[in-house]
Amino acid sequence: MADLRHDIETALYREAHLLDSGEFNAWYELFLPEAIYWVPAGSGDYDPNEHVSIIHDDMTMLKKRIDRLYSGHAYAQIPASRTHRAITNVEVEDEGDGVVNVRCVMMLVELARHRQTLYPARVTYRLHRAGDNWRIGYKKVSLLMSDEPLPAAAFLF
Amino acid sequence: MTGDDTETDLTRPIEQLIRRGAIHRDVYCDPAVFDREMTHIFDRTWVFLAHESEIPSPGDYKTTTIGRHPVIVNRNDEGEIGAFINRCRHRGPTVCRNELGNAKFFRCPYHAWTYNNAGELVGVPMPQGYGADFDKSRLGLVHVARVASYAGFIFGSMSAHGPTLEDHLGGVRKFLDAYVATSPTGEIGVYKGYQKCVYSGNWKFQLENGVDPYHVGALHASAVTPEALAIYRQGKGAVIAMDGHGVTDHTDWGPMPVDASLSGGFNLVIFPNLIVLRSQIRTVRPIAVDRTEIITSVVKLKGVDEAVNLQRMRDQEFEFGAAGTFFADDLDIFERTQQGLNSSAVDWLEFSRGLDREEMRNGYMHGFMSDETQHRGMYANWMAMMTAATPGIAEAAE
Ligand code: FES
Ligand SMILES: [Fe+2]
Repeated sequence: MADLRHDIETALYREAHLLDSGEFNAWYELFLPEAIYWVPAGSGDYDPNEHVSIIHDDMTMLKKRIDRLYSGHAYAQIPASRTHRAITNVEVEDEGDGVVNVRCVMMLVELARHRQTLYPARVTYRLHRAGDNWRIGYKKVSLLMSDEPLPAAAFLF
Repeated sequence: MTGDDTETDLTRPIEQLIRRGAIHRDVYCDPAVFDREMTHIFDRTWVFLAHESEIPSPGDYKTTTIGRHPVIVNRNDEGEIGAFINRCRHRGPTVCRNELGNAKFFRCPYHAWTYNNAGELVGVPMPQGYGADFDKSRLGLVHVARVASYAGFIFGSMSAHGPTLEDHLGGVRKFLDAYVATSPTGEIGVYKGYQKCVYSGNWKFQLENGVDPYHVGALHASAVTPEALAIYRQGKGAVIAMDGHGVTDHTDWGPMPVDASLSGGFNLVIFPNLIVLRSQIRTVRPIAVDRTEIITSVVKLKGVDEAVNLQRMRDQEFEFGAAGTFFADDLDIFERTQQGLNSSAVDWLEFSRGLDREEMRNGYMHGFMSDETQHRGMYANWMAMMTAATPGIAEAAE
């Protein structure tokens, strides 16, 4: 179990590093084709088909979202936000068959428009083992500020 | 008591802030102009509060704002819609701080004065402490002076005087009718939850932008599809200055599409705080001269396949909200605009596009699709309100 936990933490740090260094296409490759990338709005848990979300992307949408960032015309991201994210409080639940459910806390700091904005979040994943790596089947980023008015946030959580 | 013309700290007289085809930067930057907007516009005209489907049942309530006033809009036990200032009549706290809920009573936590959902003060602990002239019937929650609905959109006015809601909406009523008629049953609802955004900029940037086809091909070059862009570039349709509100009318291109795609239909900016377009009901909340919140509901159509409604919401989430592929760039440009306007090196902004080619049709000034006729109409309305003697809101509190 200690090894599994270490493996998962390593995978999460790697993912955070890809996002913080702007390697969005490599980040996209971590996701399985049927994955969902979800940033809920409002407080509490809900069915995303009954309630509006901040982001609810399937992989076609996420690809378009990323391509836009590289288009040269995504003006809110010129210059791109700089981000640092610390991943902590990692909890791993082994489902067996190479599938784990992960819960962690992310302290994401974004620098944009000469302002630092803090986006603390609880992040849950469903990860699937793929050889030495882990693929993302589901990523949900529950922002502490999910029910607050947010400034332009075109970067990736 | 009337609350007019006591401001002495305007940098420049209101009358000098707008001229033909140009607007002075103080309209967006002077805090005294903002103060006057709160008293002369938001304390006076009809302000959008909620869609009826947000509070469908007796006792349902929503908290919102009218300008600087915290407001509860609700249904009483009989299902009648009312609106109150969210403020205890004893010493002032808000009596409700949930965004949405259902309540028979609102109890102030401080000393437990209790109001029913019709706003009446029904409970005061240890009432023997008050004298003989203490009259609970005078101490109910203060009513928003007038509350009215049109096509399911609920508005409140802090002033007991002035045009009716129908007169205020004027020609825009037929567009609201058409919006609701997009549903085969003639009924719309909203999904649970809101997209909530904030920007460091003046509230009127959002009003201008809600009816601004000119920017779509430029600012949204990374998000707009080539097909939609081609239609915009044809310049079909019209922009309309309609009774102080702004309309972009693409209906010659097609009716309001059931799938809410960027094709046909229209955008409405209903002065001063409501934007209706595609699958959105947007409420504009001015917070300060350089700070604004946008609260958006996603509209679903009754009688339409659930998959179609769900796709409306997924598209809305993708394109709008703080992370939206369209709206993040709008929010960002609003902040850049405020930064630019904060420079007093340049006084005037250009709003002259289409001045030489606009024309009156059916009683309303129409411009070409990329023109600024609709903006000039909203600012003429703004000027009329800002320079009118206002009756103030004192009557509302009796
Ligand atoms: S302040 Fe509300 S009960 Fe006293
Ligand atoms: Fe826009």
